[in-house]
Amino acid sequence: MTALIGSVLGSFSTPMQIDTNPASMLWLLPLVASIAIVYKATKVRTIRPRSFIRECAILFGSIMVFIIVAALILYAVAWLVTQQLPNILG
Amino acid sequence: MPPSWKDNHALFLIVVGLFAWLVPGAGHFALDERRRAGVIFVAIVLTFLIGLYVGSIGVIDPVGAKSWYAAQIMNSPVVFLLGRVSTGGDYPVYGRPNEIGQIYTSIAGLLNLLCIVNAIYMAHLQAVEGTGD
Repeated sequence: MTALIGSVLGSFSTPMQIDTNPASMLWLLPLVASIAIVYKATKVRTIRPRSFIRECAILFGSIMVFIIVAALILYAVAWLVTQQLPNILG
Repeated sequence: MPPSWKDNHALFLIVVGLFAWLVPGAGHFALDERRRAGVIFVAIVLTFLIGLYVGSIGVIDPVGAKSWYAAQIMNSPVVFLLGRVSTGGDYPVYGRPNEIGQIYTSIAGLLNLLCIVNAIYMAHLQAVEGTGD
């Protein structure tokens, strides 16, 4: 039992190994889920499992769509500035 | 009938706010909103623990990352104790784990701030409806 507690506490004292790659963007998903759940928990009048899950899923989807659109726009701007602008300017 | 402590409006709001800060969801629990309290507790504590697991307690840095710390302290006074432990520099963390850990723990703190404000507002509504104003 002591060893188990020690290993659990120990896992909070050393950071995880996370590479800087596109897959690390998936860490966004649990955070967005948490934001949607807590926000909806403060907004709905009464919490009923089915309607609450549906409302959270809609908010989660809305946030994800917005983030994807923002990412695409930023990617397009970066592509224009780094790939197209140097050609235009000669 | 002697007046209950809930009749002291300002004190009632302060106590609910303090409960909500001490333990995420406790403010709503005190208002008999048990299901809401449970959802808030699980979501915020889990988010905070994921942040600590990813980046270690080194992500709580009251000296080098004051603005992040200001958001993290909204989780609970426990963050203050964790900050004292990590201040010595025994838990260095850099790069992506540091970023993700700080973002998770800080967002958890800001979500709890939202819940504190919401609990105080609900307490106010309950008190006002109770007195019939």
